[in-house]
Amino acid sequence: MTDHRTTPRADAQTWVAGSDAPEKSSINLGFMPLTDSASLIVAATQGFAEPYGLSLNLRRQVSWSSLRDKLLSGELDAAQGLYGLIYSMQLGIGGAPATDMAVLMGLNQNGQSINLSTPLRQAGVCNGETLARHVRQSPEKLTLAQTFPTGTHALWLYYWLASLGIHPLEDVNTLVVPPPQMVEHLRAGRIDGFCAGEPWGAHAIDQGMGFTVATSQSIWPDHPEKVLGCTRAFVEQYPNTARALVMAVLEASRFIDASEENKAGTAQLISADEYVAAPRQVIEPRFLGNYEDGNGHAWRDGHALRFHGDGEVNLPYLSDGLWFMTQFRRWGLLREDPDYLAIASQVQQLDLYRGAAGALGIPQPASPMRSATLLDGRIWDGTNPAAYARSFALHSMGEVPSADDQGTSPCCASS
Amino acid sequence: MLRILLINDTPKKVGRLRSALVEAGFEVVDESGLTIDLPTRVEAVRPDVILIDTESPGRDVMEQVVLVSRDQPRPIVMFTDEHDPKVMRQAIQAGVSAYIVEGIQTQRLQPILDVAMARFESDQALRAQLQAREAQLAERKRVELAKGLLMKMKNCSEEEAYTLMRRQAMSRQQKLIQVAEQVIAMHDMLGG
Repeated sequence: MTDHRTTPRADAQTWVAGSDAPEKSSINLGFMPLTDSASLIVAATQGFAEPYGLSLNLRRQVSWSSLRDKLLSGELDAAQGLYGLIYSMQLGIGGAPATDMAVLMGLNQNGQSINLSTPLRQAGVCNGETLARHVRQSPEKLTLAQTFPTGTHALWLYYWLASLGIHPLEDVNTLVVPPPQMVEHLRAGRIDGFCAGEPWGAHAIDQGMGFTVATSQSIWPDHPEKVLGCTRAFVEQYPNTARALVMAVLEASRFIDASEENKAGTAQLISADEYVAAPRQVIEPRFLGNYEDGNGHAWRDGHALRFHGDGEVNLPYLSDGLWFMTQFRRWGLLREDPDYLAIASQVQQLDLYRGAAGALGIPQPASPMRSATLLDGRIWDGTNPAAYARSFALHSMGEVPSADDQGTSPCCASS
Repeated sequence: MLRILLINDTPKKVGRLRSALVEAGFEVVDESGLTIDLPTRVEAVRPDVILIDTESPGRDVMEQVVLVSRDQPRPIVMFTDEHDPKVMRQAIQAGVSAYIVEGIQTQRLQPILDVAMARFESDQALRAQLQAREAQLAERKRVELAKGLLMKMKNCSEEEAYTLMRRQAMSRQQKLIQVAEQVIAMHDMLGG
């Protein structure tokens, strides 16, 4: 536990009085123009925070790196964050010095996609297998974009490519492009595909620039995605504000998921210029789970974007935080094994979340670990992260095996 | 370097402060008497700090200070010969950050300005928080009022009333408070 008394407080009187009113009554909340920022937009505009004595000022960001910088400078109090972004800030591998970070809650699961260009489709690429053949036979390396070097989109793309036998750091070029600019890059022929959050995949299809080759939920059904993140210093200095924020966003999440009508209304709201700034008809279908891949297939997705799922979405599971660190290790972003469980236990604000969810009567999964089977048949349940990290045939760990290595992965990657 | 707007409210043609400020290394961007409208000067000069040199601040001075504090808040330091605690209190209430009686010493100017700036910043932060809280409370009251009216009009539950207003707000890409105001206005028009 943190000793709050040693920290100078902005509103000492509130603290002395033992009130649970927010120490800070108005906070700046960063978000990216993405479909999955919906719960923050709804919480801020539809009166979910004011009953807790809190006002949320939405601040749209142009890129994940600028969002990161503003979280660190204090210009943003809290923000929508890629899981991997928050963890890379914690570990000091995201282009900024290591800073203690906090994941207050999960914002959503699912709803990202990997999309390839129309020229690739014309060259006969229509799924993972044909892409792998193209990569093996083509003399030129493909260029695939993601949204942040350590972000979820980079890691979904890497995991998917590796499952096809394509080494993401050797067999293709990857680069970072802010999500709203993906389609322009496709149009200009600067990239051959990208992994990003919606509505940018659907937008590429709408513009005739590409097709969806894989959804993120086909890689990991109900995978962790965006979180509500802030610095640890913020939670420690303003614990009541953080709790009020979690409660407001939880209520907004529950409201969105409550009915199709609420979801459709949310899609309409977030399409506005000051939020996602994309046409409603591009946002709404996938928001409601109706997918069309731009290549003649349409389906109702059983694991579409969701914000609440009766609380299943929002618990900051330790196993979710751990997974991102295993992938950092796998791809050489971490040279050594971190103290996985210790770090995840500090970042994931389980106590704060449980307090907030409990006050709202929201069901809570009992275990901070959850189990899932990913598309390559591997099971991830949070146990033994170090061994899991080095259990993949394709990786970029160098020839490391450390003292406690089980000998499962001999050397550098090769396919 | 700090840009200082110096107001000379003394009968002397050249005030006593300018040379002390320049000597202490400050940039005096403008010096004028109070006969000129202070808010206009602040707007034109955009100083970091306003220094007012006055033998005794009268009502005119206080009124000008109030206007600046309200519309273009700046740290205001007042140098004066007036000892009366009542006048000092009035000056602070009007928005003066530091009230310095007598004695202008070059070497004391920097700490005086530092204190004035720090005090000004913390005042501004508190004021902003207070305003945010007041606005928030007012907004909540309006939303509550609209919810109550809607519950009566539609004969529905509290939660249904909120959902109705939120759906309306979202479909128009508006905030809840905007729809609440529309509900109240409509209710007033229909003479409920």
